[in-house]
Amino acid sequence: MGAAPLVTDADTALIRVRGFRKSYRKRVAVDRVDLTVPRGTIFGLIGPDGAGKSSLMKAIAGVLAFDAGEVEVFDVQLDSEAAAERIKDRLGFMPQGLGLNLYPELTVDENIDFFARLRLVPEDALRDRKHRLLVVTRLDRFKNRPMKQLSGGMKQKLGLVCTLIHEPELVILDEPTTGVDPVSRRDFWTIVGELVAEKGITALVSTAYMDEVNRFHNIALLHAGTVLATGTPSEIHALAPGAQVLVQVDPPLTALAKLRQGFPQVETIGKRLCVYVDDATPANAEQTVRRALAGYTLHSIQAGEPDMEDMFIALLRRRGLIPIERVTVRQETPVNAASSGACAVEARDLTRDFGDFRAVDRANFTIAAGEIFGLLGANGAGKTTVIKMLTSLLRPTEGLAWVAGADVREGGTAVKERIGYMSQVFSLYLDLSVIENLRLYAGIYGLSRRQAKERIQWVIEMAGLAGHEGERPAAVPVGLRQRLALGCALVHRPRVLFLDEPTSGVDPVGRRRFWDVLFRLAREDGVAILVTTHYMSESEHCDRLALMYAGRIVADATPSELKQSLEDDAGELLEIDVADSTGALTLLRDVGFANAYMHGARVRVFARAPGADRHSVQGILENAGVRVVQIKCIPPSMEDVFVYRITALERAAAEVAA
Amino acid sequence: MGRLRVLTAKELLQLVRDPVLLAFMVYLFTFNLVLQGTSVSLQLTSASFLVHDADRSMASRELLYRLRPPYYRLEGEVAHPQMGLRALDRGEAMLLLDIPPDFEEKLRRGETTSVQLLIDGTHTVSGFLAANYAARIVGEYGQEIAMAREGLPGQRVDSMPVILDDQRVWFNPNQKDTWFMPISELLEAITILAILLPAAALVREKERGTIEQLLVAPLTALQIMIPKVLGMTIVILAGVTISLFTVLIPVFDIPVRGSLPLFYGVTTLYVVANAGLGLFAATLARNLAQIGLLTLLIVAPIILLSGLWTPPEAMPAWLRTATLFSPLRHYIDASYGILLKGAGLSLLWDSVLALAAIGGAILAFGIWRLQRQIKS
Repeated sequence: MGAAPLVTDADTALIRVRGFRKSYRKRVAVDRVDLTVPRGTIFGLIGPDGAGKSSLMKAIAGVLAFDAGEVEVFDVQLDSEAAAERIKDRLGFMPQGLGLNLYPELTVDENIDFFARLRLVPEDALRDRKHRLLVVTRLDRFKNRPMKQLSGGMKQKLGLVCTLIHEPELVILDEPTTGVDPVSRRDFWTIVGELVAEKGITALVSTAYMDEVNRFHNIALLHAGTVLATGTPSEIHALAPGAQVLVQVDPPLTALAKLRQGFPQVETIGKRLCVYVDDATPANAEQTVRRALAGYTLHSIQAGEPDMEDMFIALLRRRGLIPIERVTVRQETPVNAASSGACAVEARDLTRDFGDFRAVDRANFTIAAGEIFGLLGANGAGKTTVIKMLTSLLRPTEGLAWVAGADVREGGTAVKERIGYMSQVFSLYLDLSVIENLRLYAGIYGLSRRQAKERIQWVIEMAGLAGHEGERPAAVPVGLRQRLALGCALVHRPRVLFLDEPTSGVDPVGRRRFWDVLFRLAREDGVAILVTTHYMSESEHCDRLALMYAGRIVADATPSELKQSLEDDAGELLEIDVADSTGALTLLRDVGFANAYMHGARVRVFARAPGADRHSVQGILENAGVRVVQIKCIPPSMEDVFVYRITALERAAAEVAA
Repeated sequence: MGRLRVLTAKELLQLVRDPVLLAFMVYLFTFNLVLQGTSVSLQLTSASFLVHDADRSMASRELLYRLRPPYYRLEGEVAHPQMGLRALDRGEAMLLLDIPPDFEEKLRRGETTSVQLLIDGTHTVSGFLAANYAARIVGEYGQEIAMAREGLPGQRVDSMPVILDDQRVWFNPNQKDTWFMPISELLEAITILAILLPAAALVREKERGTIEQLLVAPLTALQIMIPKVLGMTIVILAGVTISLFTVLIPVFDIPVRGSLPLFYGVTTLYVVANAGLGLFAATLARNLAQIGLLTLLIVAPIILLSGLWTPPEAMPAWLRTATLFSPLRHYIDASYGILLKGAGLSLLWDSVLALAAIGGAILAFGIWRLQRQIKS
């Protein structure tokens, strides 16, 4: 991997973990983990919630006692409190959760000073470092703002600054990017990448976002408390060889059922189906899928390298760690003609003020029955406020909105009976069992005994909750809990479903199942779905996306239209594989590729004239003595769309302010 | 109606599943009453005293002999009054009796003499009682000596022209404070829980975010609140039943002279009234910890103004007027009336009416606050 030192020599290892085990009461959280983290690299712990990442990181940071095994950091065996104390001034640890280690009432400046003085950083060194870190994190303008008034992404960057202020040799960051918008996430990775390259520090970072895998030099895939695989990202990719085929086909529902008979891993992404073909090159994968779909109308077909998330699932599947989904062939049920295409939600100049602050500014959009509509935006862009107005939890300050044919300002039961709502915290009653939760909601919506029985049965099947009925929601895995919350919102067969970041903290396998359910609800029952999400890879599942910035809707189109317009505006995306990626990035930014960014050990730039730019990039880099391994054209992701649009708007806002 | 039943059942189920709150309730309704009823006493027992007897005569010994258990306990003699004072300072004794050197001599000569009693008044009630009893004992002794001098030795006091003071106490004839204390504590427990439980139930929903789930459902704000008040009232009435039949009646022999259904009715009225305060607290608090603190803040004035600890008659006039607004004051009047005096509605109608009026106002206020907050 490019600049990553390929380390096998045990002497350069900064962290060595052997036979690690940690259990909480009777539950074993992590077992038989072996890990070696080389000095000067970014090491990733990848895995879903509950895989054991946090326990492992806390033990390495010396703040968690463990049951068995050895943990060695800076050549110090962490076998006692005293040993743990000896390493603590050489490392920085940022626990999980947005700004949980910070003090909400203190300003940005005061927070940094506090952590620096705690670590006995000399005052003049503190001044220099603080200035430099505030500039890279672009927090310098908010120095005097109390921490509690920062956005999620800014809090996380401040947390990183406070962790780095004593210049530790090792930083341990537990899910630093969870719940952070893509722009801040990209900032975050740039800072970490530069520090590792310049200061030679070592970073141990965990993430639940599979698409961040390429940002690491080495990774360990964790699943259910054990290490599934370790290696460089390309080594991991090689563990589950295969290709991914995206196909748009008519009629989609029977095609989906057909494909699921022949392929173990098929999912729906918006209007397209995504098929993972084991052990195939993209070319023959496409042939295989074409053959399987003989007799169907193919609108488009496209084959390529699978992304990390598909690969992770393929790996789990090949190792028999997830059950292969049983295939149920369904008849194509034509969506009720009356409801299909009819307008289910309409917002007209919807506005909401909180005091002087305008949270939502004249939002306009419509959602048709059977459509999955995604609302994207950074923390605080106004997504949740829109949902709260549409569910009549909040009154609009101005503007109109109709949901399922009724005016939301009336807030009447007519609307409430026809909508379902699921919030980001999966608001379930944790002291009631699974079945009691379902019965409660059936009762609240006034279902008859027979209806209730029927719907509860449906939810249990849909969510795969059979066998868990008597358990408390806290005891079931997060994915099941999420589908239970969805079930509670669906128990009364709503016509419109509102989902506010429904998948935060859910593992990839669980997320896929969740989207599968949503797809069926939309296509089979004609339910209109409005969903907000932070996962850019998920936004591809939506039929249509609206991008929110500072309370306004700044784009509203299908995912492919959004990508197309990005290419129209910014050009095509070139991925450059070079030996010294940090140096290459600086070079390219200096000569005017302002949108260049680091993706793992590779650099990406937008090129308006791909052919000519490819040559000029190659020339610039080689003239500066940077060896170019490969330059290729790649399709932009939704993350590229998001970051490009939002940074452009931020820049415009900054110019207006100046 | 079905929704009301479902939601009330949910509240009860949640409470049953909360071991901490449940244990707290059981404690308040049972052990706490036993503890308060047996440990707190308003009578004088074993007041420790020291004596500086400079006389060392028959008369001084006779006087000492009269200060006896269970009211007094002689701790010993000190050589110098200063030593006794130091013992008082250190809290080793409560009283110091100083008998002058010519005590007996003066008595014999028929002159007036005096003894000095120094009292540690830190604990007001016992100090007051100790002084009072001692004054009476010394007074009686003096009277006997005076009678002996007048040539009436051995005569009974009633041969003298004195007024006999015969007391007959009603409602609590033996003046057992083991009746008063546990009932007071029960009323206090009801007050605390009637505020705390609905507030906690509501704030827990706020904390978990489940309140939003209820608000998007076809339920009005009132339909969300009523089950909480209803559920918690049921729970508290159950607690009262446990208190009455496992502690108050069997342990403390409290006579229930009036109608139990009337007592339950008045209690229901009182609990619902306080639930309004609980709902109000829930609009201010964001989490359970804040509810705990707010409950303390609300309960303190209610109890202080109720006359539970100080009779309203002993308060300054303006404060006495304020007590009329404490729902607990009227509830106390009604409860003691029913339990100890056997009073019925014909006597207690004014208390019940006041309770209903104050309760209605509080509940309406609580509901109004909450509705306004929900529809922000």
